[in-house]
Amino acid sequence: MTRSATAGLAVCLTLLALAVLASLAIGPISIPPARVWEILWHAASGGMAQGRALREAVVVLDIRLPRTVLGLLVGAGTAAAGAVMQGVFRNPLADPGLVGVSSGAALAAVMWIVLGAPLAALLPTFVEGFGLPLAAFLGGLGTTALLHAIATRDGRTSIATLLFAGLAIGALAGAATGLMVFISSDQQLRDFTFWSFGSLSGATWARVLSCLPFMLGLFLLCGMLGRALDALALGEAEAFHVGIDVERSKRFAIAGVAAGVGAAVAVAGVVGFVGLVVPHLLRLAIGPGNRVLLPASALLGGALLLAADVAARTLASPAELPLGVVTASVGAPFFLWLLLRRRAALFG
Amino acid sequence: MDGKGTGRVGRARHRGRRAVLLACALLLAGPAAARTVTDARGRTVEIADTGRVVAIGGAVTEILYALGLADRIIAVDTTSLYPASALKDKPNVGYMRAISPEGVLALGPTLVVAAEGSGPPDAIKVLGSASVPFLVIPEAHDAEGVVARIRLIAEAMDVRPAGESLAAAVADDFAALAALRARITTPRTATFVLSAQGAAPVVGGSGSGADAILQLAGIRNAMSALKGYKPAVDEAMLAAEPEAIIVMRNGAGGLSDEALLALPAFAGTPAARAGRVIGIDGAYALGFGPRTPQAARDLAAALYPELALPALPPRPWAQGAGGGG
Amino acid sequence: MSAVYQAQGIVVAAGGRRLLDGAEITVRRGEVTVIVGPNGAGKSTLLKVLAGEIAPARGAVTLDGVPLAAFSPAALARRRAVLPQSVHVAFPFTVAEVVAIGLPAGAGRSGRVERALARVDLTDFATRTYEPLSGGERQRVQIARVLAQLEAGEGAGYLLLDEPTASLDLAHQMLVVRLAREVAAAGGGVAAVLHDLNLAAMAADRLVALKDGRVAAAGTPEEVIADHHVATLYEVSARVRSVPDGVFLLPQSIEALPNRESDVPLSASLPDRPNVRQRDTGA
Repeated sequence: MTRSATAGLAVCLTLLALAVLASLAIGPISIPPARVWEILWHAASGGMAQGRALREAVVVLDIRLPRTVLGLLVGAGTAAAGAVMQGVFRNPLADPGLVGVSSGAALAAVMWIVLGAPLAALLPTFVEGFGLPLAAFLGGLGTTALLHAIATRDGRTSIATLLFAGLAIGALAGAATGLMVFISSDQQLRDFTFWSFGSLSGATWARVLSCLPFMLGLFLLCGMLGRALDALALGEAEAFHVGIDVERSKRFAIAGVAAGVGAAVAVAGVVGFVGLVVPHLLRLAIGPGNRVLLPASALLGGALLLAADVAARTLASPAELPLGVVTASVGAPFFLWLLLRRRAALFG
Repeated sequence: MDGKGTGRVGRARHRGRRAVLLACALLLAGPAAARTVTDARGRTVEIADTGRVVAIGGAVTEILYALGLADRIIAVDTTSLYPASALKDKPNVGYMRAISPEGVLALGPTLVVAAEGSGPPDAIKVLGSASVPFLVIPEAHDAEGVVARIRLIAEAMDVRPAGESLAAAVADDFAALAALRARITTPRTATFVLSAQGAAPVVGGSGSGADAILQLAGIRNAMSALKGYKPAVDEAMLAAEPEAIIVMRNGAGGLSDEALLALPAFAGTPAARAGRVIGIDGAYALGFGPRTPQAARDLAAALYPELALPALPPRPWAQGAGGGG
Repeated sequence: MSAVYQAQGIVVAAGGRRLLDGAEITVRRGEVTVIVGPNGAGKSTLLKVLAGEIAPARGAVTLDGVPLAAFSPAALARRRAVLPQSVHVAFPFTVAEVVAIGLPAGAGRSGRVERALARVDLTDFATRTYEPLSGGERQRVQIARVLAQLEAGEGAGYLLLDEPTASLDLAHQMLVVRLAREVAAAGGGVAAVLHDLNLAAMAADRLVALKDGRVAAAGTPEEVIADHHVATLYEVSARVRSVPDGVFLLPQSIEALPNRESDVPLSASLPDRPNVRQRDTGA
C-alpha cells in the first residue's frame, strides 16, 4: 500500500470518528459532550442511570447511539456499494440504483404504504414495525434478481443488457409507483414522499441488527472484490486473462450490492448522492485502486451520512429535514464544483 | 328556472355555438333574484341559481346537509365523508386537491362551492373563469371561522334564516365547549401524529388544523414549535414530553398503538409510559364544519377522563359522530 | 502427456455459422507459433479458445496435457498471459498500477512491476496516468503487464498475442516481435495472431494458416508462405522472395492494380468473403 493510500485511509477514519462524536453529542436536547462520554462509559460498565441523568441516558443510549450506528452502516454500505457498482459497470457515474434495487424498493414501499394496511394486520406483532422495511428490502432484491435473470444467458451476465433492462424496469417501477401515488391519500403520499427522501428516524437496535448482517456481507465482499474490480477496469476479457472469475465476481458484486443497498433503503429510505460522490471524490484524492478505494469509501460514506444526519436533525429543529435533501443539496453542488475544476484542468 | 333546465344548458356547452346561444338566452330569461357574494379570495361571485350544486370539501358538504339542502347537491368530492350517505348517493368528482374541471362542468352545475385549498390551482382557475359561479369557502380553524363558513354558504344558497339558526346553534356549541374547557385546570400536552411510517413521524405544528383542534379541546400542542405538518426529530419529541399521542383512526400508516409507541420518537415519552394513544376520525376532528365543537369535546373527554366532561346537546347534524377513546 | 498447449478439432458456432470448423493448433515451448489467414478465418476465435475465453462446442484444449476446463481462472493465469490488441482502462489508474493488475493474487510485487517496466523502457512512466498515453506507450504498458504476469507465474508460461501490432508504428511492431522472441528464448511458448505476413515470417518458428475456420496450411514460414498458399488463402496473386533470414512477400505488382481511369469499382479487387462462399471448396 502506498503512502498516499495509508494517509487517505487515516483521514477517512479520522473524519468518521469526528462524525460519530458529533452525532452522539449534538441534538435538539443539549447534553455536554463530557456528559455524553460519561453516559457511554457508564453504560459500557453496566451501570444504571437515575433521575435527570436517566433522560439524558435515554437520549444518548436509546436514540442517538442506535441512530449513529445505523447511519454509519447505511452511509458506509451505500458508498461502498456505489464504488463496487462503478467498478463492475466500468463507469464512474454508475449508481447502486442501476441494478434496480432502489426503484424496486421504492415501489414495494409505496405499495406497502398504500395497500399494506390489510397485510399489516396479518403480521405477528413483533414484525409489525418492520412491515415497510421488509417490503422495501424484498422489493429491491426481487427487482435485482429479475434484472439479473434478464441479463444472464448461458451463465454470462451482460452488463450492457443489465443497464438497459435496468432503465426499462426502472421506468416500469416508476410508472407503478406513480399509479400508487395516484390512488394514495394525502397522508400516504406524505409518508411515501418523506420515505423517498430518506431518514434515520426510527433507528432502533432492532433495525440496526436487522440490517447489520447484510452490511457485513457487503463489506466482506468488498474485501474479496478489490483485485477483481481493479482487473475489470481493463475489461472483462482482460480480467479473465489475469485470473479473475469474472462471472462469479459480477454475480457476487450484484448480489452484495442488492442486499446491502436493499437493507440500507429499507431502514433509511432512499438517500441520494452518497454512493456517487464519495467514491468519485476518493478516486481523485487517493486514486482508483479498489483495494483502498472500497474501505475508504465505506469510512467516508459513514462520516458523510452521519454529518448530514446531524444537519438534518438540528438545522430545522424540532422539525427534521429529509436526509436526502441534505445529502443532495451538499453533494450535488460539490459534485458540480469538482466537474468544473476538472474541466479547467483538462482544457485549461 | 329549474335545476333540470340549466343542467341541460351546462351539458350543452360542449355542443357548439347554437347551444351557447341557447344558454345565453336561458340565462337572460332567468329570475332577477341573482345575488352577489364575496368569497374567500375576495372575488364577487354572482349566483343566480342554486338548484344544482357541486360541493368540494367535507365541511362544505356537511354544512349543506346541515342546512337541509342535500337535494340540491348534484355531486361531492371524496373528502365528503359525512354524512356517509353523501358519497353513497351522489356522484363523486374525485379528490378535492385533484379536481378535473371538465368532470365538474360535465355534470351541469349551476354553482360550485369549494373549500379553500381545493386544487389543482389550474383547475380552479378554469372553473373560476367558466360561466358557472365558483365560490371558495375560507379556511376555518376556530369558532368564528366555522360560523363564517356557515353564513357564507347560507347566503350563497339564499337560505339566510336557516343559516342564521345553524350558525347560532354552532356558536352555542362553541360557547358550551369553552365552558367545558374552563374546567380544565392543568392542561395536558399531546401531539397530533399525522403519519409515522417511512420516515420521522409527521406531526401537526402551529397553524395546522391539528393545532387548532387541540386548542379547542384545551390541550397543549407539544410540537407547537413546528409550523404546519412536518417530520419531527425523535429527540425533540422526547424533549416535548407529550402526555398523549393523537392519531387519525386508521392513521399513522396503519401502525398499531404498540408499534407506534415503540418508535424511538415516542418510546421515552410520558404518553408511551401511560400507553395513551387516542384515535380520532380525521374528517370529524379536522373538518372544521358544524361538528367541530363535538369533536373538540370528544378529544377533551378522552384526554381528561377524570373531569367527566358532559356531551354537548345533541344536534341533528352531529349524529353518530364518532370520536374519543 | 507432452508439455504443449494444444487445441484439436475445435468447433465454435455463433449466430448460425461456424467460426471454427475443426481447427487445431499446437503451441510448443521455446517456439513462436503465428496464426495467419484472411479476415473472418477464425484466427482470433482460435486464440480465444486457447485462452479459455470461449468454450468450444466440440474439440479439446489441453495445457501441458491437462484439459483447460480443469484450471480455475487463477490457475490458468499463472500459466498463460494474454496481450490484447489495445486496452482501454476505465479509471485513472497509473502505469505501475496497471502493470500490477497482472500480478496474481498473493504474489508480492517485490520489484516485479519495476523490472517489467524497465524491459519496455517505461521506468519513468510508473506514476503517470495510463489513459492519456499514446497508443504505442499504452501497448508497452500492456506488454509490461503480461511480462509481470508471466514472471510471477509458474515456470516458463505461455503467451498469447491477439493482433498485438494493429495500429502500432514500425518501432512498436518490432518491439512486440522482440517480446515474442524473448519469451520463446526464455523457454516459454508463444502463440500470436498477426495480419502482416512479413511480420509473421519474421516472428514465427511455425505458421498456422486458417481459412474458413480450418487449417489451410501449417509449417515453417518458408513452407506456408508460398505462392500457391497465399493465392488460395487471400485470393491475391503475390510473389514470394527468399531473403537471407527467411521469406519476403510482395503483393501483386502495382501494374496489376486497376488504373485511375478504370471504372472497375474498388471493391472488385477484394476477394469474396470466405464465409459467404460454399464451404466445400475449402476442403
